[in-house]
Amino acid sequence: MHLSWGPEEVAFREELCAFLDEHVPPEFERGYDYAGEGEGEDGTDIVPEWARQWQATLFDHGWMIPGYPPELGGRNCTLVQTLVYLEELASRRVIRSFHYPGYGIVAPSLLEFGNEEQKNLVPAAVRGDTIWCIGMSEPNAGSDLAGLQTRAVLDGDRFIVNGQKVWTSYASVAQKCFVYVRTDPDVPKHKGISLLIVDMDTPGIEVRPLRHLSRSAGFAEVFFTDVEVPVENLVGGLNDGWRITQGSLAHERAGLWVEGVCRLDATVQSLIGVAERCGRSRDAGVRRDIATFYEQASSLRALGHKGFSSFAQGSSAPEHSYMKMATSEIGKAASEYGMELQGAYGAVMDPERGEESGRWVNYFFLSFANTIAGGSSEIQRNIIAQRVLGLPRS
Amino acid sequence: MNFGLTDEQVMLRDTARALLAKECPPILVREHVDDPTVALPLWSQLKDFAALGDGPCTDLCLFVEETGYAAAPGPFFATTALFAPLLAAIDHELLSAVLAGDTTGTVAVAGADGHWMLNDELVKTFVPEADRVDWIAVVDASARVRVVPSADVSTRQTRTVDFSRRFFEVDTAAVAGAPAIELDPAAFANLTARAMAALAAEMVGTSRRLFDMALAYAKERIQFDVPIGSFQAIQHRLAECSLAVERATAAAQYAAMTLDANDDERFRAVHVAKAAAGNAATRSAKDSIQIHGGIGYTWEHDLHLYLRRAIGSEYWLGTTSWHHDRLADLLMPI
Ligand SMILES: Cc1cc2nc3c(=O)[nH]c(=O)nc-3n(C[C@H](O)[C@H](O)[C@H](O)COP(=O)(O)OP(=O)(O)OC[C@H]3O[C@@H](n4cnc5c(N)ncnc54)[C@H](O)[C@@H]3O)c2cc1C
Repeated sequence: MHLSWGPEEVAFREELCAFLDEHVPPEFERGYDYAGEGEGEDGTDIVPEWARQWQATLFDHGWMIPGYPPELGGRNCTLVQTLVYLEELASRRVIRSFHYPGYGIVAPSLLEFGNEEQKNLVPAAVRGDTIWCIGMSEPNAGSDLAGLQTRAVLDGDRFIVNGQKVWTSYASVAQKCFVYVRTDPDVPKHKGISLLIVDMDTPGIEVRPLRHLSRSAGFAEVFFTDVEVPVENLVGGLNDGWRITQGSLAHERAGLWVEGVCRLDATVQSLIGVAERCGRSRDAGVRRDIATFYEQASSLRALGHKGFSSFAQGSSAPEHSYMKMATSEIGKAASEYGMELQGAYGAVMDPERGEESGRWVNYFFLSFANTIAGGSSEIQRNIIAQRVLGLPRS
Repeated sequence: MNFGLTDEQVMLRDTARALLAKECPPILVREHVDDPTVALPLWSQLKDFAALGDGPCTDLCLFVEETGYAAAPGPFFATTALFAPLLAAIDHELLSAVLAGDTTGTVAVAGADGHWMLNDELVKTFVPEADRVDWIAVVDASARVRVVPSADVSTRQTRTVDFSRRFFEVDTAAVAGAPAIELDPAAFANLTARAMAALAAEMVGTSRRLFDMALAYAKERIQFDVPIGSFQAIQHRLAECSLAVERATAAAQYAAMTLDANDDERFRAVHVAKAAAGNAATRSAKDSIQIHGGIGYTWEHDLHLYLRRAIGSEYWLGTTSWHHDRLADLLMPI
């Protein structure tokens, strides 16, 4: 056990910092805590042009996914270097991309399960030239994802897809979608699911934007009516989709803890600022509460690193199962506390009262995205209880 | 930062685990309630590890996590986590005998308020194992240290909820004129931090014991024809409890690493560690009793031995709230 990084990591960080100092777009100075919300109502501005350019710049310099080879936007870094990279970005509150499905879910899934032709889609997904969305959830299949009903019937050299997805983030701007479909309705539900790559401009697809709790555009409903998908767009084997969902969810969780922890740290730091501005930083109760949030955030950071150390040594890292649930739940409590610190003004959302007004209400709203999407906190607790602690299924 | 254990550390932890499972079973902790001498054979085993008192904090913490798991009674913690580091800091001649396990000691700092902070009071409180160790190091208001035979001071036990750790009020008036050695106040701050980090690690062990007992019971106890651990209310309680234990484990190890590196973060990290450990200890104590139902409420069941150790430790060297308040002072200086 030791604290400091080795000389290789230090040199790596220096190189990264030099790149960031030169290239980070000024727009980040405004502070981006969350991507995936536009200002308009149709969702077309979710991924601004400057952010697309930034992602392409990262890719071209080998800084998009440092662990990947250069042709995929990386530089063949070690796991530890990747961690250094994620921490440095997060500490600057700079995000790589405004649309995570492509680089975060599609790319690793295609590299693991796709055929050679499908793997050719990876560079554009990572560079952000193609925007992807993920069609998993349906009106009747949320936490119980395996209950999905969107049907795909094989007809010669194509599938015919009918059904509906919902809460599909980025659907309004995406060119392609990872659609999970039912290809065999007569077997147990986990065994009849397949994954298709679908072009969003295929006839028969209709996207209806849905606004988030905050009123801003975010996700969408996606309807499929007799949509024809070439058979070569099947990823993995027929009826092998469930295995891929497990893979993509794992990819989603693996690196996310760093961002979760850094966002939580930043929230706690901001709480100190709010307490000072609201004249409450000498209030003993406030001080204790803020220190408690700090304790939670920094012990979670340590837990993430501990898990990472076993992961990097090739062991399993049950620690990471806790991270999503814990950072999202504590983040929610901390953002609610930011409102509470403002007393009667906690619920004010009035742009005429300055840029800060309503900021904490927005954080609070956004915090629910983290406790619901990608496996709700309740589902995370089930997973911890059953897979980490080995308790019997109910 | 690397949390990976070296091969030597894995061996140290495994040795400690096996030794304590064998030499410190629940029956010993139970017998210690009425007869503290039953801990003597345990010390004769543990003394082989007294050298940890002057090694890396990370190694000491790995070891005391296991003594906490076993709620081990006796002078090990006082000697290795308090006394030896203090002797090392003042370059005292007794150190080698202590590290060899040939003699034992404890440290007296707190005054009437029970806080481990420099003060000019002669009656010291919450001095662990003061009647059964050979030496007591008394620290005065200017961080001067007097190392005296324990027989030279009068002690009176302060009984607490925890039978496995014995505290004493020590009247040091009789030794106020003994020769004193100066300790740099900054060194005192580091020693205090080290003691708190070690206690946090010990509490992580106790928390894990309580959690393990609850988890095992949840898997074996049948109600409504199924193991109670299949009920979601129990599953979610255990998931949250294990999070508290895991978080505290990482925080305590991190604090030990910052101490070994003499890193600027170390004081914050120690407050975080003791607070996280306090949260884990009290939470696992409560959850464990609740999950055991009626059997957990009995004197005959061993659970309360560890519950008592957990609660007793929460109140020693600063409660969770006290550590939060000190942490706030570092985060938001007035
Ligand atoms: C901001 C945001 C973005 C999203 N983006 C996408 C996307 O891009 N693509 C996509 O496919 N989906 C997306 N989702 C959908 C998300 O994955 C689902 O909302 C999530 O899986 C929960 O499903 P549900 O909404 O149907 O809730 P339900 O599954 O109906 O859950 C309702 C409540 O019941 C609880 N519950 C359900 N099952 C259990 C159980 N077994 N034990 C205990 N409690 C249980 C849940 O925790 C929750 O509190 C997004 C959601 C949000 C909020």
